[in-house]
Amino acid sequence: MPTKAASNRPEDLAARLGEVSGVAKGEALLKALREVKNQIIGNKTKKRRFLYLGAVPKIVSVLAAADSDGGDPAIIVQAVAAIGSFACGVEDGVRAVVEAGAVPHLIRILSYPNEKVIDAGARSLRMIFQSKLAPKYDILQNKNMVFLLSLLNSDNENATELAVRIIAHSCDNNDEQNALRDAGVLQRLAQLLEGSLNQRVASLGSIAAIIRNNREVAMTFASIENGKALSALTELIHDRYPRTRYLACMCLIAIGQLSSYACDLQTKTNLLLVLVELLEDSGEVGDDSPFALLDIITDNEELQLQAITINVLEKLCNYLEKSPIPLRRLEGILLALAEFCSKSETCRCQLISPQFLNIIVDALKNESTGVRIAACTCIRNISRSVKNLCAGRLSNERVIVPLVRLLNDTSNSVQEATLGAICNLAVDFTSQKSALVKYGGLPLLVQLSKSIVPMLRLKSLCALRNLMFIANRIGKENIISELTIPELASLICDSEHLVQEQAMALVSNLIHGCVDFIRLVFAEDGLIINAVIRQLKNDSATQVCIQGMLLLCNIAAGDESHKDAVLGYLMPSKTEGSNSLMIRFLQSKDQFLRTAAMWCVLNLTDPDSVNSPLRVRKLQEEGILFQIKTMVNDPWLDCKYRVRKVLEQCMVTQSTRCEAQVGCS
Amino acid sequence: MSHAWIVLEQLESIEAMSTSKKLITREEWEKKLRDVKIRKEDMNKLVMNFLVTEGYVEAAEKFRIESGTEPEINLATIADRMAVKKAVQSGNVQDAIEKVNDLNPEILDTNPHLYFHLQQQRLIELIRYGKVEEALEFAQEELAPRGEENQNFLEELERTVALLAFEDVKNCPFGELLDLSQRLKTASEVNAAILTSQNHEKDPKLPSLLKMLIWAQNQLDEKASYPRINDLSTAALEEPTI
Repeated sequence: MPTKAASNRPEDLAARLGEVSGVAKGEALLKALREVKNQIIGNKTKKRRFLYLGAVPKIVSVLAAADSDGGDPAIIVQAVAAIGSFACGVEDGVRAVVEAGAVPHLIRILSYPNEKVIDAGARSLRMIFQSKLAPKYDILQNKNMVFLLSLLNSDNENATELAVRIIAHSCDNNDEQNALRDAGVLQRLAQLLEGSLNQRVASLGSIAAIIRNNREVAMTFASIENGKALSALTELIHDRYPRTRYLACMCLIAIGQLSSYACDLQTKTNLLLVLVELLEDSGEVGDDSPFALLDIITDNEELQLQAITINVLEKLCNYLEKSPIPLRRLEGILLALAEFCSKSETCRCQLISPQFLNIIVDALKNESTGVRIAACTCIRNISRSVKNLCAGRLSNERVIVPLVRLLNDTSNSVQEATLGAICNLAVDFTSQKSALVKYGGLPLLVQLSKSIVPMLRLKSLCALRNLMFIANRIGKENIISELTIPELASLICDSEHLVQEQAMALVSNLIHGCVDFIRLVFAEDGLIINAVIRQLKNDSATQVCIQGMLLLCNIAAGDESHKDAVLGYLMPSKTEGSNSLMIRFLQSKDQFLRTAAMWCVLNLTDPDSVNSPLRVRKLQEEGILFQIKTMVNDPWLDCKYRVRKVLEQCMVTQSTRCEAQVGCS
Repeated sequence: MSHAWIVLEQLESIEAMSTSKKLITREEWEKKLRDVKIRKEDMNKLVMNFLVTEGYVEAAEKFRIESGTEPEINLATIADRMAVKKAVQSGNVQDAIEKVNDLNPEILDTNPHLYFHLQQQRLIELIRYGKVEEALEFAQEELAPRGEENQNFLEELERTVALLAFEDVKNCPFGELLDLSQRLKTASEVNAAILTSQNHEKDPKLPSLLKMLIWAQNQLDEKASYPRINDLSTAALEEPTI
């Protein structure tokens, strides 16, 4: 007897398949197919070997032959099972099967008059439709829908499950979702929620696909049989299998977001508890659950407070202390904790304790980009705790050094997230020299202010502006000498108006409280002041004009020459002939711009300044005082009070001048 | 001085309390047991569940006829499963694999651990019958790739392949792999996988009940002295110790 092993080598088998696959009959073919099937099931290595030998098209041709002349059911079953196995767990296998045109044949044999054949076909198709590479099944074609429904409502469990998988795979847009809803598919899926484990899991996946981003369909589902379907779904969040619990949570979350159902506090609290408990799962479900948790608590302050009272925050923190935590899971937990800290002082105080802060700071050095970003977001939100910020709890080497290092990170997103945290941490009242500057953050921030990425320019400028706010004289000098005046001037003229705004605010902070720094604004041929005026004269965004006016206001808090210079800029030039900047801003619809302009006038007409009377007369001549008088009842209180104060000041100045004149004559 | 005496006295009385467990005599216990009502149908169901899950087809059939208890799954499907289990228990692994694939081709495709253990059993059988060359070839062709596909299998793989290095396999360090108990282990794994694929619970209910009994007794031991069941197979009540 010849040794079986030799003649059943893949190469020989594949060759034999080629010889006999012209028809779907024959003992030799049956044996060959069965042997191939038994070799590849469970064996990825063998699958790849047979794929390489071109076995798949040969096997598919057997199916094709069966189409035309009936074929032997036993052979068809073996061929179909082999095809299904090729598509199981090997991407290249799915590709080969689909490219060989297996799918239409498999669908055709679902109508074969033999239960075993149907079963085999349904199983194999189900395997194929579990992969993203499966072809799209066009539900909108009527005959396809009819066939799909017949599968869905069939008694054959394999056929039903196949239909459910096809639905999950093939409904991408609203039209398809609506068509499925109209065909009554939701009711059947709801029934399957009470079936076997496989049916529950598959059904949940399909329900999620059909209701995705579709309000009406979500509402339809929730109202099936007066909410019976919704109840069945809700019960599944307590199912014994973690995957079912997770999928049920996802469905409920979607329904809660799309409709007026399942969005009450009690439901959300239950979801929270289930999702937190799912963290204990060691598999994929445990990795995904923190993201679902993040989803429901985002921007929901009421739920966040509730979560704290039921110890969800505590459980998350305790979980953090386990190690090692899978990277994706760690990212999710940190993001969830960051969200809790975004508004809750209680959370911030809890996470700032060394026990947890150390874990978050360590995460700054993690290999995963997502984890680093999440850790930065955490720190940014924790630093919103003003009292802790002021107490300097975050201004130590342990926190600042890794953050500063991240300014050089290879990922722009990480840099952006770091800047978010640094922006807050720059507000450091605790020492003369800011910790950020001490640990080398300044050159890096300045470097980022020159980045080609607008968001990085913006956020680094924001941080520099905050540093400038806090700094003493020497600190301010350091910053400006690192940044340089020409650079600052070009940022004032940046292509992004948000950047322009921050740059101007930075200059405002520079000169605030340090009158002798005003010269820097006029230095180097007035680079900065010219840039500011240019922006004000252009049709700049309102916010930019506001910052510009506030800056001019600060300059006008200087000496006489400064005030005269500011007045000069705000008056109309003879050559221009247009309305002066001052009038334009005073007439603005934006209350803050009007107010900023008034602050400026207030400084220009300061009764303690020697040249104020001259300036008041100028304002009178250019019709600005007239404009101001019309604003006596400005609807914005801040503005109104400035107007009244200015008019008071002007009257005092006028009377002083009158007195002087009287004295003279 | 008096303070120390008081403390000691308190300590003694606490110890006295902890040794005074409630004593329940055998008569009291049996009386309490008689008051607990259990339904015959429930017990029958438990027995049927055990027979079906373990795969005792003929016994299940007979029990169905004699007690009128309906099995929770079709007895016909049990026959297929039993054929597979028997094949493994007899060491005919190749046959078992073919039967499983005929029953449901998805099982081995979606249970890598099971597939590995079946291949491992095949190798063990080849070694048992001294077919060294075939065993070597099989290890190389079929088992080595499993190790490549999945790191978790490497350790077990090494242990099995190591058998080939010894002349007296039965008495070598990993000799227990050649025990028949290894076959039973693999057979049990296959049985469970088939049950799961048929959406049936893979474990019978009876063991859970017994575990619950043992746990409950352990809990009660801390509070009372009562007639314990120490031998589960006879369920005999032992005299309570004082």
